[in-house]
Amino acid sequence: MNHTPIVITGAGIVSAIGNDCSQTLRSLLDSKSGIAPLRYLATDHHEFPVGEVKLSNDEMADIVNVPKQAPVTRTSLMGMMALDEALRDAALSPSDLRNVSFVSGTTVGGMDKSEQYYLDFLDSDNHKEYIATHDCGACSQMIADHAGRFARVFTPSTACSSAANAIILGANLIRSGRADIVVAGGAECITKYHLNGFNSLMILDEKPCRPFDATRAGLNLGEGAAYVVLESEDSARRRGASPWCSLSGWGNACDAFHQTASSDNGEGAYLAMKQALEMAALAPCDIDYINAHGTGTPNNDASETVAMKRLFGSMVPAVSSTKSMTGHTTSASGAIEMVICMLALRHSFLPVNVNWANAMPDGIIPVNELKQNIDLSHVLCNSFGFGGNDSSLLISKR
Amino acid sequence: MNVRKIFITSAQQISMQQPLCHQWMVEPLSSTEPYVRSCEPNYREFLSPIESRRLGKVLKRALVTSLKVMSDSGVTNPDAIITGTGLGCVENTESFLKALCIDGEQLLKPTHFMQSTHNTIGSLIAIHTKSHGYNVTYSDKATSFESALYDALLQFAVTPIKNALVGSHDEVTPSYFTLLKRIGYVGQPGQVACSEASVAMMLQADVATGAWCEVEKMEMLYSPQPDELEAALCGIVAEAQPDAIVAGINNEPANDCGYSKIASLELPIVAYKRAFGENYSASALGVYAAARMIKENRIPQYLLAKGDMPDKVERLLVVNHSDNKNYSFLLLKKCGL
Repeated sequence: MNHTPIVITGAGIVSAIGNDCSQTLRSLLDSKSGIAPLRYLATDHHEFPVGEVKLSNDEMADIVNVPKQAPVTRTSLMGMMALDEALRDAALSPSDLRNVSFVSGTTVGGMDKSEQYYLDFLDSDNHKEYIATHDCGACSQMIADHAGRFARVFTPSTACSSAANAIILGANLIRSGRADIVVAGGAECITKYHLNGFNSLMILDEKPCRPFDATRAGLNLGEGAAYVVLESEDSARRRGASPWCSLSGWGNACDAFHQTASSDNGEGAYLAMKQALEMAALAPCDIDYINAHGTGTPNNDASETVAMKRLFGSMVPAVSSTKSMTGHTTSASGAIEMVICMLALRHSFLPVNVNWANAMPDGIIPVNELKQNIDLSHVLCNSFGFGGNDSSLLISKR
Repeated sequence: MNVRKIFITSAQQISMQQPLCHQWMVEPLSSTEPYVRSCEPNYREFLSPIESRRLGKVLKRALVTSLKVMSDSGVTNPDAIITGTGLGCVENTESFLKALCIDGEQLLKPTHFMQSTHNTIGSLIAIHTKSHGYNVTYSDKATSFESALYDALLQFAVTPIKNALVGSHDEVTPSYFTLLKRIGYVGQPGQVACSEASVAMMLQADVATGAWCEVEKMEMLYSPQPDELEAALCGIVAEAQPDAIVAGINNEPANDCGYSKIASLELPIVAYKRAFGENYSASALGVYAAARMIKENRIPQYLLAKGDMPDKVERLLVVNHSDNKNYSFLLLKKCGL
């Protein structure tokens, strides 16, 4: 089977801890959390801290040069910001995009406007322009069209693993020879819809979340967008692009257990990580760091811990959940955490799992203080979704 | 690269036609209503009464079409489950959204939320069949099925999977019909009915006998200029020499103008939406219908929109687009050609 090496030649990110790669790096090195009281979302639930992007829609529209009256959703605005940065970083211009595919994961899509205008939609033509921006595909197309004319556009929608699955589709497009360059990732804003949904499931914490801590009581919602530019090694060489790292493996498996809970034995998570290692022909001891899915819910962290122990035995590598700083950015999390892993690899540090204090019974001890000058060769990034759509991505230093 | 031959070995639908059968080939149900819901099968044959009560319409239909193609093809545990849906679990989403908008944020129950993400459909099939394999869902408006099928073909190309369950599922509630009509997508004068669709099909690599057809080639093209579209279409037609083109014409000018290049070719056109109506998963019905027409070597007369009835149905080119923006070309051919 043909194994074209896949490299990553660009990245863009926006989240609660920064509006681009350099701000994000600064926050990670300072272990500075972006989780704070609600500021932008119009909801009654002010008891829940969140990881909002620290910009209003109008401020984002200014940054990406979109007219303020244009029917555009918050998810799309964040996506445009991250996409612009990724394309700049990879030195891709609009005229290059005709040979580039775009894969962008989302689940919430344009729900931020739908929940505002749904009763209008039913009764009148008021705000009807937002009916067509509601669905996930519309969201990716808006982001894509902002940058230029991509050759193909795909929208994976697997809840919280959507962006990770976008990166996997991107990798398979390249590996199959269907594309040389793919921009892949995801975008998702916080909405009342899923804030209330997660609240009804009683998985939100009123305090800053504490992944892998014995006292963890739920997640904090976050939002954001991130994209990586995947490219065949040959294409990068032809363009003279300088890769951040290789995408050396990936895995996708289904827990096939429950729509909103993870299995006790972490089967889906275990299989996804195992596949990623096998594809890269690496042994468990080769992995230097795992950016865990680590939502901070009792169920996820227990299940993910079991899965890591099944694969790594007593030698579980350094682990942290950066959701302790960004909040759970749901469909965008796979790409946001991928870019965080790329920053860690490039700048030789282990990001901190902030707010951790107490070990879980049979738990792991996550990275709880910043470790710098750590030479990282192989880093695993986990993303798990509702329905047990579990994925894992593996990047390697070149 | 795609050296293995990929076949459609079974396919099933629940739509405005009689469910879980191919009766539309000989005896179509017709309707002049602008909005037609799917004909439901007897779910008791497939689901327990509890399951039947607990699951929303799109989930029930997706599960049952999937279980039927699995039993038809003898694949009990698919290596991959890849699902398309334009709007996902609309009924559950609207229930939660309406409660949120009308009753506020204090009394919401999780039931509808839990089954409102798009991947609820693909996950349900995996949970039911205990399938731990590759599982992804795509939501790309009217080409959601094509995204799923495209990914399945990539999986066959780069991984050793032997089979993939590929489907696309959309329900349209009365209130969502109102919304889609408001933006001119459906319910326009003269347009085919706004309908619903659940389609599942089994794709298998290198099967010896019994398949419906072979999937020869698939292309997708986003936001093409007119000359790019023409070049892509003419290229694939010249190479494929299809007996007819199966196209997503729906009698609405804004949609049909996206097929004007096809109309200018000297090839018969099959308008499958006459039988199945319009919705975000309709293109899956187009592919299902094309596969069935090849299997039976016959095109129902009432679907022929242009040209003479071809004397054989061995190679069909299926062309669809979403909003004149996202185009798909799929070539299906008779097994053994």
